[in-house]
Amino acid sequence: MSTHTLTLPHRVVQTDHLGFFRYTDIGHGKVVLTNDAGEWSILPEATFRAFLAGQMGTDHPDYAPMAAKGFFRDALDLDDMAAKIRRKRFYAAQGPHLHVMITTLRCNQSCRYCHASREDMTKSDVDMSPEVVRHAVDMAFCSTSPYICFEYTGGEPTANMEAIQLAVAYANHKKKTSPKTVDHSVVTNMSFMNEEVAEWLMDHEVLVCTSLDGPKDLHDWNRGWQKREYNFPRGVPMAGSSAYDQVLRWMAYFNRRYIERGKDPDLWHIDALMTTTRRSLPRAREIVDLYVELGLRSLKIRPLNPYGFATKTWRQIGYTMEEYLAFYEEVLDYIIELNLQGVEIQEGTAAIFLQKMMTPFDPNYVDIRSPIGSGTGQVAYNFDGRIFPSDEGRMLAGMGSDFVQIGTLGETSYAEMIGHPTVRSLVMSSYLDALPACHSCFGAPYCGVRPINNFMESGDLFAQRPNTPKCAEHMGIMRLLFDRLAQDVEGKVEAIFRRWTIQRPRDDA
Amino acid sequence: MSEAATLERQTTELVFELQQGRVFFALDEDLYPRDAIFGAAYLFVDRCWVFLTRPADGQVGVRLRAKDPSADEATLTALAGEFANELLNQVVRIRVAESTAQIREFYMAKAFFADQAQSSIDALLAELDAEELAEDDLAIEVPWEDPDA
Ligand code: SF4
Repeated sequence: MSTHTLTLPHRVVQTDHLGFFRYTDIGHGKVVLTNDAGEWSILPEATFRAFLAGQMGTDHPDYAPMAAKGFFRDALDLDDMAAKIRRKRFYAAQGPHLHVMITTLRCNQSCRYCHASREDMTKSDVDMSPEVVRHAVDMAFCSTSPYICFEYTGGEPTANMEAIQLAVAYANHKKKTSPKTVDHSVVTNMSFMNEEVAEWLMDHEVLVCTSLDGPKDLHDWNRGWQKREYNFPRGVPMAGSSAYDQVLRWMAYFNRRYIERGKDPDLWHIDALMTTTRRSLPRAREIVDLYVELGLRSLKIRPLNPYGFATKTWRQIGYTMEEYLAFYEEVLDYIIELNLQGVEIQEGTAAIFLQKMMTPFDPNYVDIRSPIGSGTGQVAYNFDGRIFPSDEGRMLAGMGSDFVQIGTLGETSYAEMIGHPTVRSLVMSSYLDALPACHSCFGAPYCGVRPINNFMESGDLFAQRPNTPKCAEHMGIMRLLFDRLAQDVEGKVEAIFRRWTIQRPRDDA
Repeated sequence: MSEAATLERQTTELVFELQQGRVFFALDEDLYPRDAIFGAAYLFVDRCWVFLTRPADGQVGVRLRAKDPSADEATLTALAGEFANELLNQVVRIRVAESTAQIREFYMAKAFFADQAQSSIDALLAELDAEELAEDDLAIEVPWEDPDA
């Protein structure tokens, strides 16, 4: 045993002049401070110490902006602070706006990272029935949220187009007597798309989102077909066919037709989601270039949900969070570089955090908010009528955890569903102001934890923050964004980031 | 000498022991509130096995064992430095949180529960909402907790 002595700089703190804030050292001698209203300041370490010690005078250049943000107690406007917090957390007074409908479990693809319990295309008992569709729409319209969005997913949701068509028609009918704003979106692999379906989706203003993981070889490796003739898309020869080609063909079709229909292409275009596998890691620039080439304005990089894979599969597709964050950083920096050259593209997850950091509002993204959206911001309706707090909840139920079911369509009332003990537990286990580590983390005003994810990994809705991949991911992204802002002496990066926060509603078009 | 330079010169000393792949601190609760010690230790659970003990009255023992079995003395010394830094940060956080607790309770209550002193944008939005929901056929405004809803 040996004894050692550490000599550390002492932090003198004069608390009586300070408002509440959280902080972290982001490197390069800079400290970022945040507060409950989501306001932030980046200070050099020496200025931060002077701030703590009550030695930052009113004549200091940082004083006035920091006072306006609520960092000094003597300048704190409590009403203004309350109004800002209320605006940021408006969702707490609303209700579920995202209503996920799993129209079928059938799917003809066999993605390497898929967690959904998919079934062969010949199965007929895994489709949502008309009765369940109507109950789901009725339930969604009971929501206290003034805005609702139906998201059709699966399986491959368009394999049960009848359910989507009925849901849209029934929702449109109900909307006639409801003040709600209603959107519909479908998440499709495009393999069952044909002109009739595409035109119908456009006629009914159903937003279309697809998956595009990168260049052809990468996308097709990630997202193979199920190898049986009957699982195959209509009219597409099985031999040599490529999922990538299908996606590109239909993206081009939709984007062309939106323009022909007089829609603003900034608002009406196909959105794509990208899932990262091990093979994506060395190809950051190629992936961004592909998105730019296809005219996509947003690339949302997503990590794998790391639970439940066989070791062999994980070895093929998995990676550590450090590897993922290095990849993310490369993508982000390349996208910033392109923006500086005048190319318009954004990284989707960064845009979510930046909206929280740089605007008075919150995008109400259900997976990154406090409390989490599961049950209070979104609900998932399984094909068989079982209700879950999110699609992830459905997957957890598939792994044998029944507690996550919060009702059954046709039997459970809205009040019972939303007041279900599981929903309450999800709120409690994701309210950041009351969670160890989060309550004092600089990222708390912007972040969100995922209790169901936690449960899948550790059997505990709360879990230990430093051991959860989502904490590492969000922390890493927030640090990166603040770091890029801290190093941005000319304000060029800030201008780009501000552009990413602008959201125009589609009904502008 | 500048204010920042004066502050720079003030230092804190912290003693730790290195023992067989472990770092050990005996921390005085008078100097380091228990919540600060717990808060700092919690942030190391990804890299270390953390054991808390009671070596003496008013003291908390923190033993960090690196999960990486190959951690050498230099790694453990760096780990001790990080823990000490985090501990000092936690002390600051707790002092700030304690001194602002009532202020936060006040503005949080006002934000979420009280009749709002609304900003002009909020007032406008509320007015529009009120107009739209004047006929509340769907009982949008009925709280979901209401058993009759
Ligand atoms: S999850 Fe992690 S990054 Fe997010 S607020 Fe909590 S501690 Fe911070």
